[in-house]
Amino acid sequence: MTLIFLQIVLFSSILGGVTVQFNKLMVDYQTGNLVIEPVEKEKYIENAASLQKKIEGLPEIVGSSARLRSSGVISYQGKEVGTFIYGIDPGDESQVTHLESAMLSGEFISRPDRGEIILGREVSGGYGALMESKSLGGVEVGDTVNVKIEGINREFRVKGIYSTLYSSTDSSAYINKADMEEILGVKGQANEIAVKTTSDISEEDARMKLLSLGTKEEVRTWHEFAGMLKTIESTLTMLRNVFSVIGLLIAFVIIFVVIYVNIVNKKRQIGVQKAIGIDQRIIVTSFVIQAVFYALIGITLGYLIMHCVISPYTVVHPFQIAVGPISLILDNFEAFSRAVLLFLAAVIGSFIPAYTLSKKSLLELIWGK
Amino acid sequence: MENNAENDAIIETKDVTRTFWMGEVEVRALRGVSLKIKRGEFVAIMGSSGSGKSTFLNQLGLLDIPTSGAVIIDSVDTSKMSEKEKGNFRLHNLGYVFQDYALLPELSAIENVYLPLMMQGKSKEECQNAASAVLIAVGLEDRLNQFPSKMSGGQQQRVSIARALAHKPRVLFADEPCANLDSVASKQILELFKKFNETEEQTIVMVTHEDWHMKYVDRVIRLKDGVLE
Repeated sequence: MTLIFLQIVLFSSILGGVTVQFNKLMVDYQTGNLVIEPVEKEKYIENAASLQKKIEGLPEIVGSSARLRSSGVISYQGKEVGTFIYGIDPGDESQVTHLESAMLSGEFISRPDRGEIILGREVSGGYGALMESKSLGGVEVGDTVNVKIEGINREFRVKGIYSTLYSSTDSSAYINKADMEEILGVKGQANEIAVKTTSDISEEDARMKLLSLGTKEEVRTWHEFAGMLKTIESTLTMLRNVFSVIGLLIAFVIIFVVIYVNIVNKKRQIGVQKAIGIDQRIIVTSFVIQAVFYALIGITLGYLIMHCVISPYTVVHPFQIAVGPISLILDNFEAFSRAVLLFLAAVIGSFIPAYTLSKKSLLELIWGK
Repeated sequence: MENNAENDAIIETKDVTRTFWMGEVEVRALRGVSLKIKRGEFVAIMGSSGSGKSTFLNQLGLLDIPTSGAVIIDSVDTSKMSEKEKGNFRLHNLGYVFQDYALLPELSAIENVYLPLMMQGKSKEECQNAASAVLIAVGLEDRLNQFPSKMSGGQQQRVSIARALAHKPRVLFADEPCANLDSVASKQILELFKKFNETEEQTIVMVTHEDWHMKYVDRVIRLKDGVLE
């Protein structure tokens, strides 16, 4: 019973861990906790620096990064890659995301840098890029690439190549905000401001704080911002449910068969109890209670092993998978619902054979006639 | 044999038959057995293998239903009882000792004995007192909390006898109680039966095929081919 419980919560916990890791990658490398966007129909947030100064005055805000974002084409030795290019203030960006620590080669851009670019590995190619054929095919630090934004061509020197394992970020490129302002012909504006909050406040509460400052722009938590992630999450949830149902069905059948065989082997014992006058209902109830007791012990043990040993262990020593290190996340509600279903299996698995056998004649039960 | 009620029949069978079907073959195990067993009598049912002695004991003990005829116990016609009533009757009025002891392995000696008492609705204290007393009476005062797996065959059979006697049944049925025991243990079991028969006036009906057991009983009922010999 312990192993069956572990089996059905383990896979679910792995998928739970993957979902959490996806979310973490997005918050750490793309959106921060909150994203401020222009009001509807406006392309830019006007006077972004002033808004940043205002929100950074809140104690719950760690930092903010105003970004200019544009689609563009990066070309190198005849190869072209269409991508999003961000114009950032490197100092501000490091307050919000961990991009600076994700460099595979070269360095992160700094404030005074002009004409320099950092590329995600899916753009540069190499470094284990997942879509190598769609990349520039192996650009290295120090190479010069051509960047075309809104019809304007500029040459940039590659200062660094990074990988965050978050595919959207790894398929982008970053340049200094001053370069982007020059290309787009704007000043002091931003397409989005990513905001990092302290860990002791929920995203929704932080959003309300920002709105209470009189912010007119759209303030969204990363949950709302992550459309693609939600698709992945719902796919994982669906997979998790499908595997849970299959796991539960297998668990149900195993428990049913084990208890059934156990009770059938006690046929004579049931016969003797019935012969000495013990009521049929009491015989059936005793077998059900026995099965439920074993189920209770097994499930509790399984929960404790998962909750106190496996989960904490994987927090300290996470598994390395394609999206990064993951820990097993035990969802208590899910564990409870699985426990209830296993209990049901134990009850049904014990009731049916005990009831069927107790109905048989004493001759058949005791002497097999 | 001296009894207070010499002519008082505690069990009476009237033309009891029992037929089994083995596939399409009809096996007539009992072909009409009528007899009376007196209150306080120690009776042995004997006969060769296949004579119908265990089948007859099962009819007397209400463990099986006769094909025809009636079993009357203490003036109660059991043929008119439902299964549930028979179960209740067995619990309060009859005791059983099986060849293989049939103890519940998960329970200790005292728990095995007080299980039927508990089912009768007696308090825990009453059950424990009665169970201890009868286990002491069968000579197991030092084995009260021992599990069956830690006991010899003879000791297990004594627990089985204690379980059968704890609720002071009107009749004790024993189906070859010494079949799995050596001669020393068998002698102890039979002496125990004799003791309860003489001191408590316990009615005992025992199936056996050992001739040397005859010296312990008041009367031998012999069966041959499903009829009284």
